Amino acid sequence: MTGPARFLVRVAAMASKEVTHIRRDPRTLYMALAMPVVMLLIFGFGVSFDMDRIPLVVLDGDRSVASRSLVRAVSAGHEFAIAADSDEATALCMIRRGQALAALAIPTGYERHLSAGRDGEVQLIVDGADGVVANQILAKIDGLVRAESLRRIDLGAEPPLQVKVFTLFNPEARSALFMVPGLAVYLLAIAAVLLTALTVSGEWERGSMEQLFASPVGRLEIVLGKLLPYLGLGMLQLLLVVAVGAVIFDVPIRGSAPLLFFVGFLFLVGMLGQGLFISVVARSQLVATQAGALSSLLPSLLLSGMLVPIENMPRILQALSAVIPARYFVHALRGIMLKGSGLSILWTDLVALTVFALIILALATARFRRRLA
Amino acid sequence: MREPSIEAVHLSRRFGSFQAVNDVSFSVARGEIFGYLGANGAGKSSTIRMLCGLLAPTDGEARVAGFDVKAEPESVKASIGYMSQKFSLYLDLPVRANIEFFGGAYGLSGPSFAARADEVLRLCDLEHEGDAITGSLPGGIRQRLALGCAILHQPAVLFLDEPTAGVDPVSRRHFWRFIRSLAREDSTIFVTTHYLDEAEYCGRIGLMVDGRLVALDTPAALKRRYVPGRVLAVRGHNLASAATSLRRRPGIIAVEPFGAGLHLQVAADDWNADSVAHALTSAGAQAVQVEAGEPTLEDVFLAVVARPREAHAQ
Repeated sequence: MTGPARFLVRVAAMASKEVTHIRRDPRTLYMALAMPVVMLLIFGFGVSFDMDRIPLVVLDGDRSVASRSLVRAVSAGHEFAIAADSDEATALCMIRRGQALAALAIPTGYERHLSAGRDGEVQLIVDGADGVVANQILAKIDGLVRAESLRRIDLGAEPPLQVKVFTLFNPEARSALFMVPGLAVYLLAIAAVLLTALTVSGEWERGSMEQLFASPVGRLEIVLGKLLPYLGLGMLQLLLVVAVGAVIFDVPIRGSAPLLFFVGFLFLVGMLGQGLFISVVARSQLVATQAGALSSLLPSLLLSGMLVPIENMPRILQALSAVIPARYFVHALRGIMLKGSGLSILWTDLVALTVFALIILALATARFRRRLA
Repeated sequence: MREPSIEAVHLSRRFGSFQAVNDVSFSVARGEIFGYLGANGAGKSSTIRMLCGLLAPTDGEARVAGFDVKAEPESVKASIGYMSQKFSLYLDLPVRANIEFFGGAYGLSGPSFAARADEVLRLCDLEHEGDAITGSLPGGIRQRLALGCAILHQPAVLFLDEPTAGVDPVSRRHFWRFIRSLAREDSTIFVTTHYLDEAEYCGRIGLMVDGRLVALDTPAALKRRYVPGRVLAVRGHNLASAATSLRRRPGIIAVEPFGAGLHLQVAADDWNADSVAHALTSAGAQAVQVEAGEPTLEDVFLAVVARPREAHAQ
């Protein structure tokens, strides 16, 4: 038999053994296929940055046509729900207990002031314990009150200046659209790193790695035989996550689906290489699990731009995020799914992912060789 | 004479300041069963790993199946079978899947390999276990499977590192019968073992002490050299204290506990069974029975290990 044919036979033997391992181990299948979907559902439904039906206490001291009109304007949408119509003491008490997040106070004489052509003043009391929530409430109330003023003026003349806002790509500001691509990256990263880290360190622990080294199987054949099945599994995972996003969370794929899977492929190779590198260095399943989880979970959660915009990070973390492949995959995935971006925009991400994959695989193989003695 | 299957010349391996293998030279002929004995840490596994191309020698050289282990480790690996200390099979896979995997690792495929896999299953008496999950089988059967995986590609040289550790005596007996049949078909066998009774099956034996090969010969020659005189097997009561007084008498070469009794090594001119029985009885032992014993490799091992370190260094 010729050299290349033997090479293929050996890679195929490694890969098909790995597939049998996977098929026989329900935990691996769960970790690879069920866990990402379950997590996606939990996060997709559970983690939402859209606030609606914010409990609001109304302190209407005027009880006039104008004040009722303002209260109606505030509570007409789905943003606020009137928790109570009460006095100031009760309102503060409710905010303190968390039964309400804000109180809108309309003073006596509100209608009289307006009809006299003077400013009508209302007061907003906000629970500032959570800054993000407080800001959202302020913005929402501001918008609603502004609209109400416009409506009143509209009876007369047009206001001199108007801003019309068009939000591109995610006009309803739905978290799902923003979160699903980020989550997909996060889940793929963890599963890919952990799976390879476990399988290779398992060979060391079992002693079968020594057996493999005593056979003519080369390092490249071991690496390929290990990577290919998990690459297949990872692509299946990506397909599943994208499908769940599309069907359940209505996340579109506005760009090219083949490009999406190609970027996913590059990212997966890098993550599998990272798992391989960890298990080559660690050699024990326990250490490999810990290192694998830490090195994939934290960076892809915190430094990828999935939750925290990279522009808002301290400079040192921004620099650190430049070597996190998840960052490029999050950017590319959001670009393809939400903006319909193509290669002309995303090529830098592709280059970054390719470079990472090549470097980590080279490191893993080099380290593998040295440990042979 | 044909080229030897294994040849080690001044082979050495150091780990930091620890000299695991120290200037070891030997050669093994084709079809020979070569036993490699020694205590834990004496350097047996390091020697095997160097011969298999797994570990680079720090000094000296070795040729296995005609290939230099330093320069051509890949050719060495393709011509040998290696069964490591723990049988490193995949326990979650069926027996047949293990065979198929290791066959693939040696580049075997197609119908000729399928036939060979069946043949090996039959040789190792595993025809009915093909679909069983390896982890569910007892140690003796797993050991046969590990051996089967090591001989799939019909290697010229077979390295077995403690192949029978933790295996029951009946399986060990079967195992050795199989090893001898492989040797008759011209395979060279290099085996390390803890069991000195098993070492009797070997054509020649090398004894390792602290990284040095201190003795190398056939079992019979080793016994003649290291256990001179007559060996007497003694049974009875209160032997221990009586033996102490006997130890100082002229013509007594060694007194070693052996099973529930003693092995006495005596100068044939001075002592016989009757005189030993008489001496022990008068020293306080009761119900003394003395029989002519065969020297065992255990006697050899004890004699060699008990020699002062300087003697080995020469």
